[in-house]
Amino acid sequence: MPPFRLVWKNLLRHRTRALLTAASLAVAIFLLCVLRSLLVVLESGIKASASNRLIVQSSVSLFVYLPESYEAKLERIEGVERVVRWNWFGGYYQEPKNFFAQFATDVEDLFEVYPEIELVEGSQEDFFGDRRACVIGSEMARKFNMRVGDTMPVIGGLFPRTDGQPWDFRIAGIYHSVKPNVDNNTLFFHADFLQKALESGAANGPEGVGIFVLRLEPGADRVRVAETVDALFAGGPQRTQTTTEAEFQAQFVSMVGNVPFFVGSIGGGVLIAILLATLNTMLMAAREQTRDIGVLKALGFRDGTVFGLMLGQSMLLTGVGGMGGLLIALSSEQFFAQLLGTAFPGYHIAAETVVEAVIATLLIGVLAGIVPALRARKLSVLTALRSVG
Amino acid sequence: MAEAALIQLKDLTKTYTRGGETLRVLDQLALTMERGGFYALMGPSGSGKTTLLNLIGGIDRADHGEIRIGGIDLAHLNNAELARWRAASVGFVFQGFNLMPVLTALENVELPLLLTDLTRAQRREHASYALELVGLADRMHHKPGQLSGGQEQRVAIARAIVTDPTLILADEPTGDLDRKSAQAVLELLTKLNRELGKTILMVTHDPAAAEVARTIVHLDKGRLGRIETRSPAGAGG
Repeated sequence: MPPFRLVWKNLLRHRTRALLTAASLAVAIFLLCVLRSLLVVLESGIKASASNRLIVQSSVSLFVYLPESYEAKLERIEGVERVVRWNWFGGYYQEPKNFFAQFATDVEDLFEVYPEIELVEGSQEDFFGDRRACVIGSEMARKFNMRVGDTMPVIGGLFPRTDGQPWDFRIAGIYHSVKPNVDNNTLFFHADFLQKALESGAANGPEGVGIFVLRLEPGADRVRVAETVDALFAGGPQRTQTTTEAEFQAQFVSMVGNVPFFVGSIGGGVLIAILLATLNTMLMAAREQTRDIGVLKALGFRDGTVFGLMLGQSMLLTGVGGMGGLLIALSSEQFFAQLLGTAFPGYHIAAETVVEAVIATLLIGVLAGIVPALRARKLSVLTALRSVG
Repeated sequence: MAEAALIQLKDLTKTYTRGGETLRVLDQLALTMERGGFYALMGPSGSGKTTLLNLIGGIDRADHGEIRIGGIDLAHLNNAELARWRAASVGFVFQGFNLMPVLTALENVELPLLLTDLTRAQRREHASYALELVGLADRMHHKPGQLSGGQEQRVAIARAIVTDPTLILADEPTGDLDRKSAQAVLELLTKLNRELGKTILMVTHDPAAAEVARTIVHLDKGRLGRIETRSPAGAGG
């Protein structure tokens, strides 16, 4: 192994160049971490999906509603234990920039079908007993500084009230989902409350149900149940498409395009660009140190040592830059989590992202250093000593 | 006496090919140099002086012939063995000093000791002593760029002797120096030869520099010319 002091001092021979290269790498690794983390957020819902839940939606589109009457038919299918309606409400709090997810649902069934949703404040009885009540996620409560007992005025986007007023929901509880498949920035309220408002003419909006979530009995065959559901409604009035929860989540991710490919392309491009920049730096450094390499070899240092000297410089340079980028990404985690808000709920730098950043850093270090290191190893003493360094 | 001979060269031939033309730089050279001797290699440009020095120092290989240093046939050593032998047996002093610009004088001198089993403290002690020997104890924390040419060459000499090698090979050690600095370097080499018993082989163009050697070997077109054995009257003498 080459002496670390020599590696370090040679690296700092051109401080500005080394600093700029390390800074470029830091930016690249930081970007990689952020992009990868966005992908992790998008995929976390898929990974955390329950295997005992199926989603029934219109085979035409998610925006085509299913008849209410389907609920009873679904409950009778063998293997189905519980059915929950989910209706996208599409409103916002005070102004459009405060957009967040709201769902009208069967509140009692919600907690049964989604055991990961835990009430951390308030009570289920209070929520179940009042049709105007709602529960909100812990993140949302923190963001809007809401407490149990407060009124949450929501302007209905998809279901506007005919009097032009916002929907006033009383917060009966604050929940926290222990799994990322349920966002902690969501409001749940009584589906019956919405239905009655539509029936009485107090609000406008599409009738029917957005999706039905089925919880299966233990040991039930998911594929068979899904096929049964779709066969049952094959004759209409609305044909259905029944998927697992993971497939449903994946469908959401793919609605904004091929995100993994998009993120992978940008990340890959950034890494290749920085690899070329680092390689250029290392080639210049190797050329400047040619005579030193000749001297080292003449003094008795072996080919392997000079190989290590060049590779060590590359690894150290990329190591400093990569660690810098990683530290920036980790220290800005909270900032980005708040900035991205409900668009990417649960943004965080996962352990796997850290590992990937470290691997990318090491890979750049090796790839940028291997060519100059091999050249240094191969160089004859005389050729090196004759060079004009 | 066979024991007194440190360097034995037999039938030594070296050719280079440049621009499609083969140049015979050394032609069946045979020479013996004694342990503890101070030799100056002289001759016109292209006579093969530096090539011979490089072959004896094990940083180049001969096409034909035998180079035996202290009884070791260099042709039989592979690259790694040759590197180990160089580290233990040879100290190089180059015309252009060839110090590491990023290291201090002390660190430059310490460099060959990294190949030994010495501890860091022992390495520092040895390197400091070598710098003291060359009269640069007060410059040990200076980088080459902060030293004069003469001082740089003295650091290079300290680096050459720090591992206590048998043989010191100096290629035009005064070539880049003014007269005063050159004189100081020659005095130092003489001192190393006389007081520490180092065998010195010095390539030089300068007849005045060659005066300090006890034996002057003349080369001409790769062949051995006359050999002058003399009682040095030069520096330090």
